Amino acid sequence: MTVIAHQASVAAAAAIRRRTSRQRKRAFLRVAEQLVLVLLAVIILFPIVWMVMTAFKSPRDVYVYTMWFQPTLENFSEVFNPRWRIREKIINSIVISVTTVIIAMPIAVFAAYAFSRLAFPMKRAMFQWILLTQFIPAVTIVLPFYVMFRQLGLLDTYAALIIVDLAIVLPYAIWTIKGFIDAIPLETEEAAIVDGAGRFRVLWDIVVPMARPGILTAAIFCFIITWNEFLFGYLLSRQNVVPLSVGIVGFVLERGPVWELIAATGIIITIPMFFFAMMIQRHFTKGMNLGAVR
Amino acid sequence: MTQRRFAAILLAPAFLLVAFTTVYPMVTSLWTSLHVLNLAKSVQLGAFVGLENYQEAFVHDLEFWGVMRVTAVFVVLDVSLTILCALGIAMLLLRAGFGKSIVRTLIILPFAMSPALIGISWRFMLNPDYGAFARTIAAIFPAMRNVDYLASPTLSMMALVSADVWHWAPYFAFMLMGGLAAIPPETQEAARIDGASNWRVFRDVTLPQLAPVLIVAIILKSVFALKVFDSIVTMTAGGPGHSTTTLGFFAYHIGFRNYDFGYAAAVAYILTGILFLLSLSYMRFAFRK
Amino acid sequence: MAGVQFKRVSKRWGDFVGVRDLDLIVEDKEFLVLLGPSGCGKTTTMRMVAGLEEPSGGEIWIGEDMVNDMTPRERDVAMVFQNYGLYPHMSVRDNIGYPLKIRGLSKAEIIRMVDAAAAKVELGPYLDRKPGQLSGGQRQRVALARSLVRTPRVFLMDEPLSNLDAKLRVVMRAELKHLHHELQITTIYVTHDQMEAMTLATRIAVMNHGVIQQLAAPEVIYNDPANLFVAGFIGSPSMNLMSGKLADGTFHAAGLTVSGIGGGTRDNVVLGVRPEDVTVTATGSGLFDAPVYAFELTGESVLVTVTVAGKQIAARADRHFRCQIGDNVGVRFDAARTYLFDATTDERIRL
Repeated sequence: MTVIAHQASVAAAAAIRRRTSRQRKRAFLRVAEQLVLVLLAVIILFPIVWMVMTAFKSPRDVYVYTMWFQPTLENFSEVFNPRWRIREKIINSIVISVTTVIIAMPIAVFAAYAFSRLAFPMKRAMFQWILLTQFIPAVTIVLPFYVMFRQLGLLDTYAALIIVDLAIVLPYAIWTIKGFIDAIPLETEEAAIVDGAGRFRVLWDIVVPMARPGILTAAIFCFIITWNEFLFGYLLSRQNVVPLSVGIVGFVLERGPVWELIAATGIIITIPMFFFAMMIQRHFTKGMNLGAVR
Repeated sequence: MTQRRFAAILLAPAFLLVAFTTVYPMVTSLWTSLHVLNLAKSVQLGAFVGLENYQEAFVHDLEFWGVMRVTAVFVVLDVSLTILCALGIAMLLLRAGFGKSIVRTLIILPFAMSPALIGISWRFMLNPDYGAFARTIAAIFPAMRNVDYLASPTLSMMALVSADVWHWAPYFAFMLMGGLAAIPPETQEAARIDGASNWRVFRDVTLPQLAPVLIVAIILKSVFALKVFDSIVTMTAGGPGHSTTTLGFFAYHIGFRNYDFGYAAAVAYILTGILFLLSLSYMRFAFRK
Repeated sequence: MAGVQFKRVSKRWGDFVGVRDLDLIVEDKEFLVLLGPSGCGKTTTMRMVAGLEEPSGGEIWIGEDMVNDMTPRERDVAMVFQNYGLYPHMSVRDNIGYPLKIRGLSKAEIIRMVDAAAAKVELGPYLDRKPGQLSGGQRQRVALARSLVRTPRVFLMDEPLSNLDAKLRVVMRAELKHLHHELQITTIYVTHDQMEAMTLATRIAVMNHGVIQQLAAPEVIYNDPANLFVAGFIGSPSMNLMSGKLADGTFHAAGLTVSGIGGGTRDNVVLGVRPEDVTVTATGSGLFDAPVYAFELTGESVLVTVTVAGKQIAARADRHFRCQIGDNVGVRFDAARTYLFDATTDERIRL
């Protein structure tokens, strides 16, 4: 009897030891996880935070590696100094992005509806081809367009940038909006048809209102893309239509790049983008899961 | 109105626009690459030279193969690091817990920042005297003090890669999170009951089921890596020398610095060819349903 | 108000034939039910009347018009969809008024007609809500109101009650019957539920594999089925069907013999008899004895299933009858209440 009791207590002690060692391991893992999370947050935020700090540093503090400084707003006022022509560039970016989105949305909605609801020859091939255009490197596109725009005198105009931006943005917009239209029950459209609505009426009265979240998401994403677009803005503009994304590189004096002004401009450029990105984050994840090509 | 007619009306604007901005340049670029076109001399197309521009690239130009090597190194490093980090982030963020939701909201931020801006930021922070990166690294590894990162070919490459990984890892983390979430937990639980350790469950059950999404992610990231341009312009300008000049940047350099648009078109087309092959495999894997 | 006529209408998708050479006249003001299992072609047939599907062959007439080339709008029909097809972003009022708005009626007219339609289905208090805020039954009534609001020539209903719970379904059946009586509009109603068909229809068209199996009034469908399919589809629980052969008017199958059937001598026949015509008696006093296989109390009656030579036969007994599984009971039915079918053609042999 005592042998059995002894064996039982040995087993119990071993179990307790195993349990606590497993508990300890689990606790250790949990702490490690938290540490990695914090590290990740730091890695994500560090460049952003540093840029924000730099924007508020006086030029003296910028060229010293320090966390402590006297915050100042003088960079922001200097950025708007007419010699840098920032106001123009902001307006350029706004004009280009807004115009691109306004033109792109109706075109994309029409195309998305056609791909979602209608049957026509080579539909699948066409859809794949529209997505495939994202695989063409920008440089292959910019070379002939540069020559063409120069010949037509369209270099350094809004039209040039808007056209190429539309090309970048349209496939993604069509893809996103199509996904939302797919989710609208066909019955609702058929009800409208039986009620007497013509094809365009069905599109305008029924489909567009129901697809509004998708259209909004696509619009914001397209805005972000054109707002941050660099290559075409850099190569196809000279002085009249330089967008902000390119203008930021222009803060240069003899001593070199003026980092604090660049940082300040960086904030002006990026804060709206952060805001928009947060807004559409939910839909972002849905779109990404299907391997969207940017 | 028939469906066809309606579809044609709806698709016409999109089609025309996309065709104009893709078919036209593709055809023109090809045509240009078979000619001489030096913009410093004239805007008109020069003599027809057949495949001479391509010969220039593959045979005569010493820099071309260097650029190819740089491109290959960049793509391999960039893609592997991005996907590994994305996978780690995805697995980390999929577990419920304190702080996960905060990080999940924050993680979109690097993607919202333009690569050009990231390039400038990195250049600023890598300055050996006042750059935040340089000084932080120097504080941890004293041997790295006073190193001018952007003057060293290897370190410039690493800087470029790190900027791209920072920008893209979140996007791909989301993609992989979707893929991981689609794996039925029963398969992993069954393996655990069968006695597999965490690592074995990951290797034998999770990874094979994640493979399709992983492959798509790798192909996609390779495409994006080949298209990297903005950060090169603002961070390294392709240097020092040509040590961070990838194929795309090389084509730009030839065209907009040397004004040799014919040769630039040829190089650009070589890049397009590589991307075309990648796109075929992407189509195969992504549209398998 | 108009009748609908199908002249050799067919619908094909590639090799698959959904509807095959349909000839059917729906009388003006009639309530015709298309009844059948899923895939039988009933919904396709109705959608062709609406103009949502194009016939592969044949002509469809509504009243005096051949409508094959007409848009749904020109056909002046109204349709209630299975999932209602309501416009989620519009209020109930706007939903009901939509067909009027499209046709350019004045605001005052629209308000008047919408209120009238809403009153008919008792939706008055809900007019300013959105569909998302309504219950399933209420949404169904919105769909109904939308179809009523402009007195079309034909009503089309695609399984409108199938998404409602059982109690509500019974209530709405009565409502639909009342509305039809009040409005006297030709209605084509699609369902797979034979109870709905029996209670609502002036005539039922039983369909299977794209072909009408029988077109007749409900009593006729029930009491005089034209073939095996109709006999087995209508009636719950379904008709008992026994294969065997006929020898000089007497039916022989494994384990049972029924005399007095008539019809001479045939080799392959099926004898059918409805459970409510089969009675359970004491052993020895019926046509044959059999062990009880299952016993179900349904409330208003009792269902007794027995096994005979490996087959099951169901009988309906008085609700106070009791027995145990395994008990032997006597089974009896009247030869006059049986139905005879040719086993090779599935056709009914009428005697």
